[in-house]
Amino acid sequence: MTLYLVVPALFLAVVLQASAMPHLRVWGVFPDLPLVLVVTWSLLQGPRGGLVWGLIAGLFVDLLSGTPAGAATLALGAVGFLAGQARRTAIRTQLLLPMLVVVASTLLYDLILLLGMQLSGRTVLWLETLGRIVLPSALLNLLLLIALYFPLRALHRRVAAQAIGW
Amino acid sequence: MTRKRLRSLLPFLLFFLALAGFVLHRVGWLEPVEKLVVQVSAPIQGGITALLDRAGALTQTARDLQDLRARTEELEAENARLLLENVRLREVQVEATLCRDLLSFAQERQAFDLSGAHVTARVIGLDPSNLERYLLLDAGEDAGVQRNMPVVTERGLVGRIVEVGPRWSRVLLIIDVSSSVNALTQSTRASGLVQGQPDGSLLMRDIPQADSMSVGDTVFTSGLGGSFPRQILIGQVTGVLRKDSDLYQTATVEPTVDFSHLESVLVVTGFAQ
Repeated sequence: MTLYLVVPALFLAVVLQASAMPHLRVWGVFPDLPLVLVVTWSLLQGPRGGLVWGLIAGLFVDLLSGTPAGAATLALGAVGFLAGQARRTAIRTQLLLPMLVVVASTLLYDLILLLGMQLSGRTVLWLETLGRIVLPSALLNLLLLIALYFPLRALHRRVAAQAIGW
Repeated sequence: MTRKRLRSLLPFLLFFLALAGFVLHRVGWLEPVEKLVVQVSAPIQGGITALLDRAGALTQTARDLQDLRARTEELEAENARLLLENVRLREVQVEATLCRDLLSFAQERQAFDLSGAHVTARVIGLDPSNLERYLLLDAGEDAGVQRNMPVVTERGLVGRIVEVGPRWSRVLLIIDVSSSVNALTQSTRASGLVQGQPDGSLLMRDIPQADSMSVGDTVFTSGLGGSFPRQILIGQVTGVLRKDSDLYQTATVEPTVDFSHLESVLVVTGFAQ
């Protein structure tokens, strides 16, 4: 998939995340669409594609959110790259590995963001945030992944011949 | 009598018959003949009339059907237009109610605690992250919005401006973990610091042990520190956590503002303490 499509698609995902997703709030949290998209695509495309998707999505999240500048870019880039490492195993294990990867990715992503917030001098209540925000949102991301994984896999098969122009 | 002669006499004959018929009718001698004719012709007439009525009704029905179709189309178009109009008016009504509430809040406060202009800003987005609680407003520097300005609704304190663009601004909500507001309870005047919690609730901490706290008491801004105007409603005390070994007591506070359904807010561009 070319960057001409990836960039607007990820921008749209981040805009949806900031406008529509907060209305799907359950247990005080809502699913993270850009994160789930990056994880899913990384599992299908591999580390390189995952890194590109993560960096682009992270950049948009940084621009639209109040997180310390660069924290989301770094976090989603890392998530995309690391999730992409599990690509070959993911193909064999159907949905089980993607489910585990999205939970681990949510933890990693939120931990990097929290660290960034702490380093920028903001108040971080680590334990409360982990228990009340990070874990419930990991569960919601898991549900979102189940909904998105197979449609995205079908899309990936259609565009598999095209490589990201990086 | 030739046919030609008969033809020439026909008008006179008809005239004579008409005159005779008139006279015979006047004297009543034609009545039996008339009755007979009517008796014979009546069913035929009735049949023809019914037939014509049916035919007329049929054509009328076709015409009516056509008219009805046209009317239905008109009414459907009208209905769609009215439906849209209704939706638009309801939206206007909701907006008007919101604006009226905000205006009345502003007017009440203008004489009491606040002064200066207020910018009614529309909420255009929320923070995409679960870890932080921000709002994006569609009013910025062009509308006189500046950093650290308090943001309120008629229901209470929303937060403060932390970032401003030409036509947008970002609001840090009071329920964000990074937010802290100097507060006071209404009845006991207990003072403390209201802080956001990760789950979106509020905690009032650093309340001196000597201060009396009660569940149900309302919490207002104290105005201490000058960041927020005095006496802006924050929430209601829902629980008090007090340990004799601690220097301070803590209270949980339920915010009065419904942060998940914010539509319009006021940015307080100036206030007097």
